[in-house]
Amino acid sequence: MAGSNEVNLNESRMVVPLNTWVLISNFKLAYNLLRRPDGTFNRHLAEFLDRKVPPNANSIDGVFSFDVIIDRETSLLSRIYRPANAEDPQTKYVDLEKPVTSEVVPVIIFFHGGSFAHSSANSAIYDTLCRRLVGICKAVVVSVNYRRAPENPYPSAYDDGWTALQWVNSRSWLQSKRDSRVHIYLAGDSSGGNIVHNVALRAARTDIEILGNILLNPMFGGQERTESEKRLDGRYFVTLQDRDWYWRAFLPEGEDRDHPACNPFGPRGESLEGIKFPKSLVVVAGLDLIQDWQLAYAKGLDKAGQKVKPLYLENATIGFYLLPNNDHFYTVMNEISDFVSSDCA
Amino acid sequence: MGPYDSAISAGSSSGSSSSSTSKPHEIDGLLAGAGYKVRSSDLRQVAQRLERLETVMVNSPSDVSQLASDTVHYNPSDMASWVDSLLSELNNPHALPLPSDLPDFPDLIASPVLNQTTMQNDDAWADPNIIPPHQLKVVTAMEEDSGIKLVHMLLTCAESIQRGELALAGSLIENMQALLTRVNTVCGIGKVAGYFIDALNRRVFAPRGFANNSTYGSAYENEVLYHHFYEASPYLKFAHFTANQAILEAFDGHDCVHVIDFNLMHGLQWPPLIQALALRPGGPPLLRLTGIGPPSPDGHDSLREIGLRLAELAQSVNVRFAFRGVAASRLEDVKPWMLEVSPKEAVAVNSIMQLHRLLGANNTRNLPIEMVLGWIRNLNPKIMTVVEQEADHNQVGFLDRFTEALYYYSTMFDSLEACALQPSKALAEIYIQREICNVVCCEGSARVERHEPLAKWRSRLVQAGFRPLHLGSNAFKQASMLLTLFSSEGYCVEENEGCLTLGWHSRPLIAASAWQAAADVSNPLGIVNHNNGQVL
Repeated sequence: MAGSNEVNLNESRMVVPLNTWVLISNFKLAYNLLRRPDGTFNRHLAEFLDRKVPPNANSIDGVFSFDVIIDRETSLLSRIYRPANAEDPQTKYVDLEKPVTSEVVPVIIFFHGGSFAHSSANSAIYDTLCRRLVGICKAVVVSVNYRRAPENPYPSAYDDGWTALQWVNSRSWLQSKRDSRVHIYLAGDSSGGNIVHNVALRAARTDIEILGNILLNPMFGGQERTESEKRLDGRYFVTLQDRDWYWRAFLPEGEDRDHPACNPFGPRGESLEGIKFPKSLVVVAGLDLIQDWQLAYAKGLDKAGQKVKPLYLENATIGFYLLPNNDHFYTVMNEISDFVSSDCA
Repeated sequence: MGPYDSAISAGSSSGSSSSSTSKPHEIDGLLAGAGYKVRSSDLRQVAQRLERLETVMVNSPSDVSQLASDTVHYNPSDMASWVDSLLSELNNPHALPLPSDLPDFPDLIASPVLNQTTMQNDDAWADPNIIPPHQLKVVTAMEEDSGIKLVHMLLTCAESIQRGELALAGSLIENMQALLTRVNTVCGIGKVAGYFIDALNRRVFAPRGFANNSTYGSAYENEVLYHHFYEASPYLKFAHFTANQAILEAFDGHDCVHVIDFNLMHGLQWPPLIQALALRPGGPPLLRLTGIGPPSPDGHDSLREIGLRLAELAQSVNVRFAFRGVAASRLEDVKPWMLEVSPKEAVAVNSIMQLHRLLGANNTRNLPIEMVLGWIRNLNPKIMTVVEQEADHNQVGFLDRFTEALYYYSTMFDSLEACALQPSKALAEIYIQREICNVVCCEGSARVERHEPLAKWRSRLVQAGFRPLHLGSNAFKQASMLLTLFSSEGYCVEENEGCLTLGWHSRPLIAASAWQAAADVSNPLGIVNHNNGQVL
């Protein structure tokens, strides 16, 4: 394999802009330093290396943000992003939780990626992404700082997502004027996409309504090695070895990748037929080695009679949505905007 | 650019949206939005180095674990230098001796214990189960509303004070005091609001001239309150710990070292440094400590007493030690000749929350800060450690200052809520309350709590001829581990371009940085004549 390393590096260099390549390779390098072979994680170094940004109650490009503690016992923090009031851009402390004024205001609960182990709600890359979502969807975005693996494996992240969902649903200041209800969407990339599915699943058994799921390169897997995994292993920033590491870190001790959290439509998955499940937008990058699992997920939803729109982007790599320097970025942002606004008519 | 212009530039510091359109010496705007500073012209080179690192790491996995556990990382925002440092680590493993680390956090005043454990092993993340759960506080909906109302009224009151409408301010204060009776003042917004209402009350109703009097009591009282603030919260411990780590590293290889502490207090910062120097491979240096503090009344010499205690400790661990106390009511009254710095010694200047007191009234020229920074620079210290409150409490407009203080101290009180240590917690709150009073009630020379944020200190210090010394991942890790000793999970340490901040739930409250005199064009060797402070 030694000789093919150079080929690998050249390949990924050719499909993304230079600054994207530098960004993702930098992450890859850092992440390699953080995962230990024994399954433990160098959390101190991870927090040291992660680039974070504070919230900003002053509006920057029409968006302001602030942090709230959703659950004191678990120190569950969320960062809330809101569109600034055009007439009065200077937000006052008391205005942070001022009731939304429009007929319909989408509220997007966002779960950042990082394969369940990396990043935070206040990571710079996710702060930027959430701000974009506010502008594109004219939405309020609630970015959840869920607990991460390996210190907090399954089901901590899902529990936190569920707590956040209940919290958002019960905020009177987030209710749309039209029907005095909170119009909730779930969105997430990588592990965040996986959390979206699992939180929606839990919500299906309750009376909390979720209007739509947005999954960007969602993290799914299984015991079997799929064709895309074998073909793309190590070629575009991601290896099977690191995927396996993250699943071992997240899943309960002794479990394999056919655990339903990892493989919802696998041998141990539960049927989604007939249950109240939101419509889903599933974005799949054509150079992501786990695409077979993501496409299988979309197919599984379809077969269960659930509404799903798979969006396949042929030569997109992981993280394409982090920087607005490629066509896929704009395609996806348009799709997300349509997906959310189609309910507002 | 596309239809998302406004959304694109959100969060990024430069206008350009892709590397191909920006000028070469500019920072790549998109990477800046991700928290990285890379010049567009350097992108290719950084990419090549990343590739090289990748190849090396794939071919020898043992190097990976070495890079992960032994290497000290600095300023990850500067991607080019971070990648370079990793490459040179791989090419030249352990070329630099690993920096010494401070020993485990010892019991300081009671008995000096020589603790052999170092903190270099990568322990697994602290078990969160040992942290006792929060006491659940039930906040009724009405209380929440009253809380928001109180905040609203506080800000309105501050605004009317700024406009000079003192009668309106006065009646608002009365209303707020009434509203306070309906709110839980034991914790949360009620408690903080109570302190701010008191402060506004003082400002509006105090007899003429009161506002110009100090809000602080005697030096002794201050020391006691400071000590309890130290016990009840991690802020000062973080400050001491981080500064000491940087000083320890700066003193590496020097046999004669001199620490100048701008505010000695009980000297709580120094026992761990003395112990770390004692354990230094190659043996301890000769350590001089000059402690600056207010003059003691009634013939007492408290500075000397502290010095004696520290000398005893030093002797017990075989560190040659000399202490000198410099009594001054104000830092600007200290002159460099009083410090008797010798040209042979490596000097560390340590300022824990003192520099902001030199910012004076209004942004006039020849502020005391400039004078003091000038003579510090002339001393050419090996390191200057600076810790400051991370807040913008020196804004000209009263309302702005008040609003910032409300945010800042609310967060700080929130962090203290979990503290169970009494009476330290109560006294720590009084300590903070006095700061609040000074920010809100005082003006002119009486207002000494002129906190400014890290960004402002950075430019001030650079302008005064200093360059940053970056605090690394080892200091970060130790600071993080220090926090696990506290019973609350909300504290967080963050790395900010070579500096470290400690905050509560993502709001930084205190910032630590380290500095050195920048090389002078006119004085490349930095030769200083210590006798009259002039540069030769």
